[in-house]
Amino acid sequence: MGRTSTFLLSAAAVVVAGTMPALAAWQPQKPIEFVATAGPGGGTDNIARAVQNIITKYKLTDQPIVVVNKAGGSGAEGYVYGKASAGDPYKVIFGTSNAWQQPLVSKVAFNYTDLTPIAALAQDEFLLWVKQDSPYKTAGDYLKAAASGEFKMGGAQSKDTDEVLTRMIEKAGHIKLTYIPFKSGAETAVQLAGGHLDSHVNNPSESLGQWRGGTQRPLCVFSPKRLPQGAKVTATEGWSDVPTCVEQGLDIAQYEQPRTVWLPGKVTPDQAAFYVDLMKKVQATPEWKDYIEKSSQIDTFLTGAEFDKFIKEDLEHLKQVASEQGWLVK
Amino acid sequence: MDNFQELLHGFTIAITVPHLALMVVGVLLGILVGVLPGLGAPNGVSLLLPLTFGMQPVSAIILLSSMYWGALFGGSVTSILFNIPGEPSSVATTFDGYPMARDGRPTTALATAFGSAAFGALIGVILITFLASWVAQVALAFGPAEYFAVYFLAFASFVGMGGAAPIKTVVALAIGFAIAAIGIDTVSGSVRLTMGVDELVKGVNFVVAVMGLFGIGELLVAVEEEFHARAVSSKIDWREVFRAVGRLPRHSVALLRSAAIGCWMGITPGGPTAASFMSYGIARRFSRRGRYFGTGEVEGIISPETADHAAGTSALLPMLSLGIPGSATAAVMMGGLMIWGLNPGPMLFVDQKDFVWGLIASMYVGNIVAVVLVLLTVPVFAALMRIPFVIIAPLIVIICVVGAYSVSNSYLDVVMMLGFGIVGYLFKKLFYPLAPLVLAIVIGDKAEDAFRQSMLMSKGSLGIFFANKLVTCLIVAGIALVLLPLVLQLARLGRKPASPTSETTAQEKVII
Amino acid sequence: MISRRALELATAVLTGSFGVAVVVSSLDNGIGWSSAGVDSGTFPFLTGIIIVLGSLYNLVRGILPVATLANIPVAVTPTEMRRLAGLFVPAVIFVAAIPLLGMYLAAALYIFAVLAIPMHQSVLRSLATAAATALALYFVFERMFQVSLPHGALAAAFGF
Repeated sequence: MGRTSTFLLSAAAVVVAGTMPALAAWQPQKPIEFVATAGPGGGTDNIARAVQNIITKYKLTDQPIVVVNKAGGSGAEGYVYGKASAGDPYKVIFGTSNAWQQPLVSKVAFNYTDLTPIAALAQDEFLLWVKQDSPYKTAGDYLKAAASGEFKMGGAQSKDTDEVLTRMIEKAGHIKLTYIPFKSGAETAVQLAGGHLDSHVNNPSESLGQWRGGTQRPLCVFSPKRLPQGAKVTATEGWSDVPTCVEQGLDIAQYEQPRTVWLPGKVTPDQAAFYVDLMKKVQATPEWKDYIEKSSQIDTFLTGAEFDKFIKEDLEHLKQVASEQGWLVK
Repeated sequence: MDNFQELLHGFTIAITVPHLALMVVGVLLGILVGVLPGLGAPNGVSLLLPLTFGMQPVSAIILLSSMYWGALFGGSVTSILFNIPGEPSSVATTFDGYPMARDGRPTTALATAFGSAAFGALIGVILITFLASWVAQVALAFGPAEYFAVYFLAFASFVGMGGAAPIKTVVALAIGFAIAAIGIDTVSGSVRLTMGVDELVKGVNFVVAVMGLFGIGELLVAVEEEFHARAVSSKIDWREVFRAVGRLPRHSVALLRSAAIGCWMGITPGGPTAASFMSYGIARRFSRRGRYFGTGEVEGIISPETADHAAGTSALLPMLSLGIPGSATAAVMMGGLMIWGLNPGPMLFVDQKDFVWGLIASMYVGNIVAVVLVLLTVPVFAALMRIPFVIIAPLIVIICVVGAYSVSNSYLDVVMMLGFGIVGYLFKKLFYPLAPLVLAIVIGDKAEDAFRQSMLMSKGSLGIFFANKLVTCLIVAGIALVLLPLVLQLARLGRKPASPTSETTAQEKVII
Repeated sequence: MISRRALELATAVLTGSFGVAVVVSSLDNGIGWSSAGVDSGTFPFLTGIIIVLGSLYNLVRGILPVATLANIPVAVTPTEMRRLAGLFVPAVIFVAAIPLLGMYLAAALYIFAVLAIPMHQSVLRSLATAAATALALYFVFERMFQVSLPHGALAAAFGF
């Protein structure tokens, strides 16, 4: 075959791929590995397994999918693994915003630019929680009492989403908090229930059981509007009854954590397109809606330029907080 | 007694043909993943999880928890037969289990381990049944300072004794702490001690260290001593299984003490690993035959196994009532609870009575099923000891390699495992104790985190460790345990001065 | 022949250099203890110092002829050395071959080599044991528990 005909053929292939984006030109030929950057049972592990189940159930691809946990170093292990697998389209990395947050504040051997962004699938909200029997009814009360400077705020990990939000609260409320990092949100919730902390900023799913059990309650949600109507959590209240923080005089309009999906670097656009399409199909199933509702997350889908824009904006904001706190790595 | 009524109702749920069948399947699969190091219960449970989505929540949890029981039992098998602990909590079982098996009594060692494990689990379930709400309250009293005090107590009960040269013990302990610190630090979020190896950001997994230190290290010592010349001629003897279990009541003091330690550590944040080490350490100190520990003593098997299972069982309670998983497996099960639409937490006992009491009843039945099944497998496993050394040795190497690899699909782990093998050989050869090293790898970073969280809370003051009765008691008990042997030794030295050197060499032989 | 003293020295040097590495790299993390908490390098630094001091003590004790050490002058005899090498060297080759050959092929070859070459078993039986090991690994890990063991560069070149 001469050079011209090869050229024509590939041109034709480009045209075909362009006109039928649903039938991506690339299809996986061997088993796919889902890398969860969290331990078994963690939020990121749950989402990877939920996606795996949906794909298997609806046979969205012919190839089997295996979930692998690489949770070491607060997820850095998984990202470093993704970086080392450059060009391999059979590794799909599930993470959070720490893909771009971690390299900013600690000397980890990766950056999000080493990976190919696929999509942000869901957003976790943050709330301000206090112990059930604490005297504060609103975020305003809380800020007034915290002015004493003796308040202890708990959270998962250090210099991660929870601590960033804590520092934002300090700034917005003109107070000083002592931040105590724990391994996970669940552990933090128990510490609050035991009265060892004054507050924390857990995601809804991390403190759902504790709220039902009457050991702690949310004061406000860091979201521009109240959470969607759902089933009641306690006898009288549900997520939609929690006021926004802005309503209560704590001026942080929006703070949320996306669940992100990545491929290793240096994969072809075709290969990336296949997975974007796959995630879109997953998101259209009733099982996905069910998972989102049970884990009290917000359904979103960001990909391509939108996702890039989201990362850039978040990164700008993080850089500002991190430089104020002196966290930036040299 | 309300709880008793509920429990009887629970039994009507648990004892049905489909549920009993699920238990048998779960236990058998559990034994398999438990026996294969590196696979472990968390892997097995997360693989079965998708299968349970269509089930009733109570059936699903029965299947998964049965698998957990099976894996707990199975984990002791390789510890005893090949000196390879598959889970952190079965390390202490190797100390006397392996010498006994190598001594030609693998059947006795396995049967003793399983029998006492079942006893520990039973006490743990009884505790859950009758003291659930009280236990949940106790667990809430533990903040970072109390966490640290519990870890300190675990170290104190185990370290500061034994026949090894004190400086070698200190070096081994410090190396363990340093290894535990590798990777990302929870309290500051910074990367520590990776020494230029990017992948080390994940830290050094315990299984990798232990496969090398114990598995490969012991293999090297054994091949050098021409271990295969005195290959074990263990007969397949069913009667010995029952005789070994029948002899257990003679050690009722050790059984009860270990079960108490296990339950206490299971409820408090210590967990099964700290429980088994602490129980072994205390048994060695207080048992009449304590100085023979490490040579294949029955109580050296009973103590860690009973405590391990008592802790492993009672650790499920904080999971159900507080939503904190006590172990990796419990974390996977908790993920399952959420997918089945249940929320772990204080309301579970009120909202989901059938589920909770069905589960608790299944713990009784599941453990009975598990112990019967594992006891039946004892002669089969014991027969493995009859395979000639030249064949079993390369198989052990493969098990260690595959085990180290499958922990996190990493080739670096395999290379590190071999490195740990050389260290294990050198340490064994030169009487550096391995147990403090392993204990420090497993709970060293947790102890450090708890200490530094306390310091954040107290703004740098050590006063927080004497701030309330609970933490003061724990710290004082720990200090007493460290000082006790020193005081005793001084008193003994006062009576008959100068110990002959022959005694030190005799002591060196039983260092673990 | 390796003397007990040489082995003690080598081990003390090994632990000591690990200690030095720990001390040096913990300096990067910062050392300090203030009302803002304990810095992340503090404890690694302290443990590193302890390792170094302990290793120095063990080193000195290893050099000085102390009574207890004199009891066992020889640590590893030449025969023992040969046996050690006979186990460890094939294991190292096996691990080194994994990236190229993959776990299954490397394991099978390893088993075959250590059984057939020293004539512990007949060639036929060695072959059978090797094949059984690889197959058992494949079914238990790859099929039952979906843990993917490395397939190796060679298999990748053939498109597996």
